[in-house]
Amino acid sequence: MGEVVSMLKRLLSIILILIIGYWIAQGLANVPFGEDRMLVGKYYLQHVKEQTGAVNAVTAVVVNYRGFDTLGEVTVLFIASTGVAALLWRKRRERTAKTEGSLVLTTGSKLLFPFIMLFGMYIFIHGHLTPGGGFPGGATIATGFLLMYLAFIVYEIPHRGFEVTEGLAGMSYVLVGLIGLAIGGYFLFDWIWQTWHFGTSNLGRLFSGGFIPVIYTLIGIKVGTELSGIIDNMLKEEVKE
Amino acid sequence: MTEASRVSRYLYTFIVVLIIWLFLTASLDPQELIVGIIFSAIVAGFTYDIFTTRGLSNLHPRRIAYAIIYIPYFLWAMIKANLDVAYRVLHPKRPINPGIVECKTELKNEVGKLALANSITLTPGTITLDIDGDRYFIHWIDVKDSSIEGASEHITKPFEKFLKVIFE
Repeated sequence: MGEVVSMLKRLLSIILILIIGYWIAQGLANVPFGEDRMLVGKYYLQHVKEQTGAVNAVTAVVVNYRGFDTLGEVTVLFIASTGVAALLWRKRRERTAKTEGSLVLTTGSKLLFPFIMLFGMYIFIHGHLTPGGGFPGGATIATGFLLMYLAFIVYEIPHRGFEVTEGLAGMSYVLVGLIGLAIGGYFLFDWIWQTWHFGTSNLGRLFSGGFIPVIYTLIGIKVGTELSGIIDNMLKEEVKE
Repeated sequence: MTEASRVSRYLYTFIVVLIIWLFLTASLDPQELIVGIIFSAIVAGFTYDIFTTRGLSNLHPRRIAYAIIYIPYFLWAMIKANLDVAYRVLHPKRPINPGIVECKTELKNEVGKLALANSITLTPGTITLDIDGDRYFIHWIDVKDSSIEGASEHITKPFEKFLKVIFE
């Protein structure tokens, strides 16, 4: 009896998914492919250089034109990390892994760690010039810490320092936005580019892009420490006193 | 093996990381250089403690020269070994005689052991399974000599003579 019911359930969900899929495909069929349909996009592409100083239009949209979204995303990440910490909160939590990695793994991780960190920093500082930015850069740095956690049974990040850095980076992001409010009249106004004209002669080189590199550095630090904190929380187990 | 001073270890990490930065950016624009120096200093500050135990003595000219010679030597061994495996795959009788052998190494340094293990694995026909002290356990596609001395002669010795200079 139970088998028939589960078979029926599976059949029904397959039919339902097929109907939804057909429905979405019908909707998409009406959108012309390969035709110029840019309305706002054209404005971004034509004005991105003189308005923001960024060569990478995506970062300009994410940090400058639509800065609130990024601030929201950073908040979401912060809540996720706080939520994980709150869910897994115990008095004494320790790493209880038993098997140390082999020599090849541990030595290799030690050697790779600085390069991963450097590459993460490279990604977030070049956010306005190359693909990437604060989030991929921060995630790359956190990968380095994950590698250390997986290779060594006793490795732990310096908690206090990480939590303070995370908070400071988040606050500085808001502060940069508030300075814009004071100077230019609205939150997240790009004062470095619009008021100071810093880097206007450097378009396409590193010292350009207004406050994008500043904000992406802050986001990179924040995301890196945050994800490392989540990893740390998830890898620890409760220990009986 | 004694540990080098903190300053020497920090400087060594800084130099290596900065060289990697130069390759990453592929430009000598002063702006990139300034940021690269700052970032390398930060990364080195965080990681020098685990990155190196010997510090600047890694940069001895003799070591660097051997490391540069080792690269083509190793690539040649890799090409030869890959052709050998291709021959074994394509041969109708598949002349394989697999087995796990034990080798001894004279290397003491951990990084040297890692380099040896990777060199063995990257030359097809041999795969390092595990390292325990100075003993290597290696899976060999065509066991010619299963004794410890004999296997070391075939597998580890050719690389060791370079790695000993580079890492010891």
